[in-house]
Amino acid sequence: MVVRLDRRQFTQTMGAGLAATAWGLGPVRAADKTITVLNWQGYGTDEKFAVKKFQEMTGYEVKHDYYNAEPEMLTKLRTNPGAYDVAILNTARDSQAQAENLIDAIDLTKVPNAAGLADTFKTHPNITIDGKTYGVPWVWGMNALAVRRDKVTGVDSYNVFTDPAYVGRCALFDDAVTGIAMAALLTGQNINNPADMKKIGDTLKTFKKNVKLLWSSEDEWNKAFGGGAFDISVYWSGAVARSQKLHNLAVDFLIPKEGAIGWLDNLCLPATSTKKEQGLAFINYMIDPKFYVDWVTGSGAPASANSAAMNELPATDLNRQIHKPEYLSKIQFMGTLPDDRRQAYNDLWEEVKAYYAHS
Amino acid sequence: MADTATGATLPQPSRGGWRILALLAPAYGWLLLTVFLPLCAMLVFSFLKTTPFGSRQPLVFTFKNYLAFVDRPYLVNVAWTSLQLGLWTTGLCAALGLPAAIALARATRGRTRQVLFLLTILPFWTNGLVRVFSWTMLLREGGLLDQAVHLVWPGAGSLSLLYSFPAVVIGLVHAYLPYMILTCYLSVVGIEDGLIDAARSLGARTPAVFTTVILPLCLPGLVSGAILIFVPVIGAFMEPRILGGRIGVTMGTVIEDQFTSAYNWPLGAALSFTMLAAVLVIFAAFSGVLRKRLAVA
Amino acid sequence: MIPLGRLTLALILVFLYAPVVVMIVMAFNESDLYALPLQPSLKWFTALAGNEKLIDASRNSVLIAVITAVLGTAIGTLAALALARHAFRGRSVLQLLLLPPIAIPWLITGTAMLVFFYWTGIGRGLHAMILGHVALAIPYVVLVVGTGLQGLRSDLEEAAMSLGSTPVHAFFAITLPLLAPSLIAAALFAFAVSLDQFVVSYFLATPGVSTLPVEIYTSIRKGFTPEINAVSTLLLGASVMLFLVFAVLTRMGEADERR
Repeated sequence: MVVRLDRRQFTQTMGAGLAATAWGLGPVRAADKTITVLNWQGYGTDEKFAVKKFQEMTGYEVKHDYYNAEPEMLTKLRTNPGAYDVAILNTARDSQAQAENLIDAIDLTKVPNAAGLADTFKTHPNITIDGKTYGVPWVWGMNALAVRRDKVTGVDSYNVFTDPAYVGRCALFDDAVTGIAMAALLTGQNINNPADMKKIGDTLKTFKKNVKLLWSSEDEWNKAFGGGAFDISVYWSGAVARSQKLHNLAVDFLIPKEGAIGWLDNLCLPATSTKKEQGLAFINYMIDPKFYVDWVTGSGAPASANSAAMNELPATDLNRQIHKPEYLSKIQFMGTLPDDRRQAYNDLWEEVKAYYAHS
Repeated sequence: MADTATGATLPQPSRGGWRILALLAPAYGWLLLTVFLPLCAMLVFSFLKTTPFGSRQPLVFTFKNYLAFVDRPYLVNVAWTSLQLGLWTTGLCAALGLPAAIALARATRGRTRQVLFLLTILPFWTNGLVRVFSWTMLLREGGLLDQAVHLVWPGAGSLSLLYSFPAVVIGLVHAYLPYMILTCYLSVVGIEDGLIDAARSLGARTPAVFTTVILPLCLPGLVSGAILIFVPVIGAFMEPRILGGRIGVTMGTVIEDQFTSAYNWPLGAALSFTMLAAVLVIFAAFSGVLRKRLAVA
Repeated sequence: MIPLGRLTLALILVFLYAPVVVMIVMAFNESDLYALPLQPSLKWFTALAGNEKLIDASRNSVLIAVITAVLGTAIGTLAALALARHAFRGRSVLQLLLLPPIAIPWLITGTAMLVFFYWTGIGRGLHAMILGHVALAIPYVVLVVGTGLQGLRSDLEEAAMSLGSTPVHAFFAITLPLLAPSLIAAALFAFAVSLDQFVVSYFLATPGVSTLPVEIYTSIRKGFTPEINAVSTLLLGASVMLFLVFAVLTRMGEADERR
């Protein structure tokens, strides 16, 4: 025991020494006037113009830390208390974070721009827990089909993944929830609580011949699609706009007759943040219509949960074309999943992937 | 890892023992703190029902995770894919690395040798992910490799290697070949010229010199190389995922999923420890065979 | 056989360098989607000059890699000496214990470190990354140096000792010079292992203190830009320079030439 303590002190001292050396090498950092945002990389909050504008407005510099998977985001919140001032969560994860006291309730009256939020989102069951609001709805989007323009026509169903005309020409999103939800739509079940998981697994397995690859990032999608690796894929609505706008890819987005899988992301206040006031100010800026319009025009974004922001876009804007309000009726939103169901989703998805891989 | 100190006596518990302890303490102390103790925690996790970290439920112990191969029969196929990847990669690395190491050590001298030696490690000093992405550009349909082939043979069809088993093997061989070259090189460089000349003067032909003189002396290098390659390849996930497309499902990617998107640490840990056990068994069996061989040589 | 070996060596070098050349060429290509034909441009290097985060991360990477190479080689060599030169009870167990750090996917080791360091108060950051990197390098060093030691005869050292040398003196005068190639190889390994290590760094990095592989890994989602190629190219160049300086200082290869 004694030895271990000594060793620990030793390593800590040594680590501190090394860290100090590195610090000396690095530029001097102002530690006070910064807030740290936990988000996916390249997802709005880290737009250069936004970081600059926020600093001009408040004097606070915005730093970022990124995650690559939702559970990882939760792990980072747990193991880095005090490190983050704003966190972007899929609303389907809110109840989990709230139950662990990782995020604080937010008084929407202290966020002036929240006045413009669409009612559907403002009172969305995902973010309302025990009558309190735990996040500010930010952007939403759909997972449906993206197809190569001119080459693929007449597709109106997820059944295209079993169509012999497209053997080896399709791609899926490597995500358990999206995969299971798509098969749930195809078999007429609730995406958040399907009654017949076996049927879902069997349906997914029939896609095998058509599936060429499973993608896990937008960049991977763009490069593979640009390289002609596939013609039909499950894809995100906001990403389609970006692929068209930024990369000139000949891709069209369509919502099959079975419907689309919706998701809603929100801005949350980590409970351990020491700069909640600045956090709220940043959240307010993030749902500002001006920020949204700049984000959409600059690089492309999903749909804003703020109706005022959507209305600021020209009617011809791609984003308004893709996220038509009437689509909202064709969407089933990803909801809160209890732990055991989430695990059942993951287990089934792993089995399906292994089935695809086995020749 | 082969036993070399044959006939050495066990040290007296006096100065010799302390010296050994002093030599070993820094390395194993360091490993204890940063690897073994954390892995022990992971071993405990592997017997839990749910991920303990952040879960609100009371801890429930179970052996279920170690029955994964029974509960999830598809994992047998996945393990088989990983094993094939490991064997192909290790075999190809040995087949390419050993001759290269011999050429490096025996045919060149001084500066040239150092430069060539450096050249084999240099690619290692770039980021693995960037290298894998560069491979996708080379291997994809109509990619750089196809273009190069068409320069030589315009009528050739597309190789279209990307998203296939060979693509994953290529990526893995590329990532691990330098290990084999280096370990073999270190064995070969110790062979004295006199030994080979002696064999030659006794009338041995080149193949005979290779099998009776060089190969046995290279064995330690081959074994170390095989360990350094086979073991991590079994758990590799980056190359299969990026280069394999649909078929890129291995033990590595399944375990990765458990630790990232699925958040099932206990299952991921149990699969890793099962894999570790399998690897240890393979090497235990292998080292027994090897020791006999070395005794004969 | 030697010509055959040379041919293999040449082909292997082509194979090893193909993606590296692609990487470097694309750093000088205008297109952000890595499209061909090539349009020469320095724009990614210019962009890089303004990217403080990537530069910071690269500096951290090199710093950690150098520390890891030095510490890892020193610590690992001591252990290799004990394992190769002395027979004692439990030796094979200790040798087997070197396998888990290699065999367990780094992802698990990384997660385990994260949880353990969090519990024990070691925390995350540069010191934690160095702790982790050295640990990952040690098994490689022990295996590489151990392989080199098997090719060395211990009778020289014994002869020196029988002539009155102390064991320590005999080690520095006889074994160490003979072992030099293995030590250099081991250090290069440790350096490479650390420089390329992203999983452990990823878990142990704190916001603001990251390494280049961590930056690259997190940028996958947003998209690789040739800026990554540019910084990798520069880093490769810097590593080569570092190595050359080291080689000149230690006069590597001279002993061979005088033979």
